Amino acid sequence: MKPISRSRFDRLIELASRCAAQRMSRRSFLTRCGGWLVASSALPLLPVSRRAQAGDAPQKPPQNPKGAFASEFANQAQTKDPTQCNYWRYCSSDGYLCACCGGGPSTCPPGSSPSPTSWVGSCINPDDGKTYLIAYRDCCGKDSCGRCSCLGQEGDMPEYRPQVNNDIVWCFGASSMVYHCSSAGLVGLAE
Amino acid sequence: MPKNRALRGGVVLLVGATVFVSHAQNAPVSNVPDAVTRKTGLHVEPMARPARIYAENCEGCHGWAGISVTEIPTLKGRVGYFARIPEGRRYLVQVPNVALNPSSDEDIAAMMNWLLATYSRDELPADFVPYSAAEVAQLRKARIDVAADRRRVIAALVAANELPSPDVLSIPHASLY
Repeated sequence: MKPISRSRFDRLIELASRCAAQRMSRRSFLTRCGGWLVASSALPLLPVSRRAQAGDAPQKPPQNPKGAFASEFANQAQTKDPTQCNYWRYCSSDGYLCACCGGGPSTCPPGSSPSPTSWVGSCINPDDGKTYLIAYRDCCGKDSCGRCSCLGQEGDMPEYRPQVNNDIVWCFGASSMVYHCSSAGLVGLAE
Repeated sequence: MPKNRALRGGVVLLVGATVFVSHAQNAPVSNVPDAVTRKTGLHVEPMARPARIYAENCEGCHGWAGISVTEIPTLKGRVGYFARIPEGRRYLVQVPNVALNPSSDEDIAAMMNWLLATYSRDELPADFVPYSAAEVAQLRKARIDVAADRRRVIAALVAANELPSPDVLSIPHASLY
């Protein structure tokens, strides 16, 4: 049998096709083809590590039984879903959640821009019990989002202490004073 | 044994794919127990107490780097000039949001010393004496007219030859929204 080509790759393919032609019937080809289709669709079901993509960890018993933390908000908080008012970072957030408006818990939705100024509060993460500093930064320059209206009141002070008040629109210094939604970025870990 | 070989080949392929896929999904690890930060691998640093006092009370407007929008006084490379004369040193603590801050005298003193060293070390006088809690407690009792006092301090700095020009500490007018 004289090989068609000298290239090793061509010869390999040739050998494979000759083998297939000699040994496989059409039905067997269909069987194999079907087998591969099933195998390839079953591949993603293999037990590979998907921790990074996981939305919800296996439900652990709640680590924050009522009254575990000094903060009432932290006792009810969760760390999985930033589109819910009880997401732990929103303990002082007053307004529409950017995570419900096309952005994330710390990113602005397209078309709005983060205010250069913000106010900084602190929230307890119920999973490790530590206190984190959170920058409450409004996204500005677009009409009110109107979705997921939440009101966290931890550390919120009356309007006469505006630097720690969440009722005012924090768009100072932004290109527009029009409020769109509220974000909650992590600043640091309080010791 | 063609069947056997095919089976073995398939197994090798599957194992290879598994290793490849699990490797590609090794995301950076975040130190915050949170579903969102686990995806981004965000790592937050523990903050020393003076830095935390600054972050909670000043950073929102003055910025984490001591630089912010035009209407908010820049700290970086500037604030240390005030510490060169006694009236400027007083002014820094009598600024309303320092004097009236709910933090303790100890925290304010530590935060001011941290702030000056962090954002404006080069402008500090060589013989700078750190603020003490007692000094802060005394200074905080006064209520000042902040704009007038600032003008007076800047004029005194220029007169004492401690400031190249009053423009160094000027605050530009914000444009209308």
